[in-house]
Amino acid sequence: MPVAEPFVSTRNPCKACSPLGACLAFRGIEGAVPFLHGSQGCATYIRRYLISHFREPMDVAASSFSESSTVFGGGDKLRRGLDNVSRQYQPRMIGIATTCLVETIGEDVKMLLNDYHPAAEPAPDLVHVSTPSYRGTHVDGFHAAVRAVVGQLAEAGEPTSSVNLFPGAVSPADLRHLKEIASAFSLDVAILPDYSDTLDGAQLEEYRKIPEGGTPLASIRAMGRAAVSIEFGRTLEGSATGAAELERKFGIARKTLGWPVGVVESDRFFSELSAISGRPVPQIFVRERGRLVDSYVDAHKYVFGKRAIVYGEEDLVVGLAAFLSEIGIQPVLCASGGQSGRLEAAVAAVTASSVGPVLARGNLDFAAVRELALEMKPDFMIGGSKGYSIARELDIPLIRVGFPIHDRIGGQRILHLGYRGAQQLFDAVTNTLLARAQDRSPVGYSYL
Amino acid sequence: MRKIAIYGKGGIGKSTTTQNTVAALAEMGKKVMVVGCDPKADSTRLLLGGLAQKTVLDTLREEGEDVELDDIRRTGFGNTHCTESGGPEPGVGCAGRGIITSINLLEQLGAYHDDQNLDYVFYDVLGDVVCGGFAMPIREGKAQEIYIVCSGEMMAMYAANNICKGIVKFAQAGGVRLGGLICNSRKVDNEREMIEELARQLGTRMIHFVPRDNDVQRAEINRKTVIDWKPEAAQADEYRQLARAIDANDRFVIPKPLTIDSLEHLLIDFGMAA
Repeated sequence: MPVAEPFVSTRNPCKACSPLGACLAFRGIEGAVPFLHGSQGCATYIRRYLISHFREPMDVAASSFSESSTVFGGGDKLRRGLDNVSRQYQPRMIGIATTCLVETIGEDVKMLLNDYHPAAEPAPDLVHVSTPSYRGTHVDGFHAAVRAVVGQLAEAGEPTSSVNLFPGAVSPADLRHLKEIASAFSLDVAILPDYSDTLDGAQLEEYRKIPEGGTPLASIRAMGRAAVSIEFGRTLEGSATGAAELERKFGIARKTLGWPVGVVESDRFFSELSAISGRPVPQIFVRERGRLVDSYVDAHKYVFGKRAIVYGEEDLVVGLAAFLSEIGIQPVLCASGGQSGRLEAAVAAVTASSVGPVLARGNLDFAAVRELALEMKPDFMIGGSKGYSIARELDIPLIRVGFPIHDRIGGQRILHLGYRGAQQLFDAVTNTLLARAQDRSPVGYSYL
Repeated sequence: MRKIAIYGKGGIGKSTTTQNTVAALAEMGKKVMVVGCDPKADSTRLLLGGLAQKTVLDTLREEGEDVELDDIRRTGFGNTHCTESGGPEPGVGCAGRGIITSINLLEQLGAYHDDQNLDYVFYDVLGDVVCGGFAMPIREGKAQEIYIVCSGEMMAMYAANNICKGIVKFAQAGGVRLGGLICNSRKVDNEREMIEELARQLGTRMIHFVPRDNDVQRAEINRKTVIDWKPEAAQADEYRQLARAIDANDRFVIPKPLTIDSLEHLLIDFGMAA
């Protein structure tokens, strides 16, 4: 009989819960309100967590489960909650995600919604996604919500030449850059979700219950008629995503690319757009790429051979591993709390040029990352704010990227994607290493 | 106060056996409370003369937490205290959580308190121990003794064995023990010998063999226990014997569940194939 490894509980998870990811995705749809079927505390936690990163208001409604809803089922609470949200927000869509409690008592949300007769006129679209958070991560909840949205709203019809783009849980700055790239190729691109305005908006004179922006519902309905779908995330290969749903239902070709982080992965994305649009890569990006590669050469001596620990959601980790490898930094550990089982292969595929061995491990918590970090003694770490205590203990720099960033401002403005994103990452990494060397030198050199 | 939980396969006659036994104990002058732990809320019908009772959970749902003990407890045959946990309609919500909520509420309201002068509490639990909620009556020192109602039918014995597996777990963590098997006869060949042997192998005993008698069904149609409906009936004496056996019982064990192989062997050696 095989001896089971001793059970160790998760200590400080390297992930967030799946309804959180679903709420984030729903926030990127025009006129939508995220709604949790479950307990009040889940909504509060998710709101706080997202607000602290994006520094924007984030309403999440809840059906506010009580003891008696747990015993008798929460159908009444769901119906009342939907009526209340419809009345108070006048949303065009309500995105309903479930909490652990509701999933555990086996609530049949689909049936409840079939029996629901909305009081509001016109009734909002109701999209439901099942997100028990003991299964998967916030990114799984995010992709499941996107899939539920297109699965329930996209429609068949006269084919168009437009492109569906499923970027994953990228930053608002990334979303804005993707729109700029699409427009430079003169492509009609529907990005889902798009929280570039809803979670990174301007100061307003008057508070709006639902912020402006987000993917319009009409664009989502039209996704069933698009020419092609592009999705970012090498670990999504073969999994049930929004693009997969559109392929299954409407036969729309699905192209799964890595997050375009660094030159090589960005090249793939740009050449895909070039092929789809039949246009060469616009000069603005050709020049950005040129400057990026030039900077790689200029700063090679500062970064080459350094060792880094990368952590966070799986597909960001894969993108960063690709980027670090191509600039001569060895990503000694690529860690994620994700459980797709595809992280190891995806990292291997993008780090063939690494100067040294790369260890990729999914399903890790920060306690495990710490143990490995103490052994590996990397030069720096790169990921969200949750790695800070490890970096502090090791007395090494932490370069903040991805999500969540709860100990700095500007997480929503970090650009990761494209040549421009790579340039910013490269400058951040190089300058962090330079500052480190400078600070450690007994001589106060001001010329490095 | 002795706290007893009755388990057994669905439809085996747990509620009928429990209420008749409780009626016999009441007749002996014992003060007994019955806690029905079945969403169908039919564990006290024969003691109360009908399904008139509002359940703990219905009361909680309609009136909130501000509940009095008298709102959820009725007095039945022989001054027995009768409560029904109740629960959701089939296919909705979480009946297991309902039992936890209900037993917690009964405790808060002092239903088990010394001033109630109870000699016995009986928990009548539906079917198998399907989840944590249905194990509530045997958790945390609630019921200390368990009787399993079974018959010589294979599935009833299989269920009894399975329940024993649950008892082992809770016996190690808490203080619950198996008091014995109650055979509610289905007139299977060699039934008495087979259940005696099953009990022996489980490390317990068959505390009583209740013969099949249509007086039980006649009494049920009249919404009564046999003790109440026809005190002079032979079947009433059977329940009195069972009540006395439980009252006098001092053999409480952690059972040793059988492997499926041994269980099947038992059926071959004693049952239809013998």
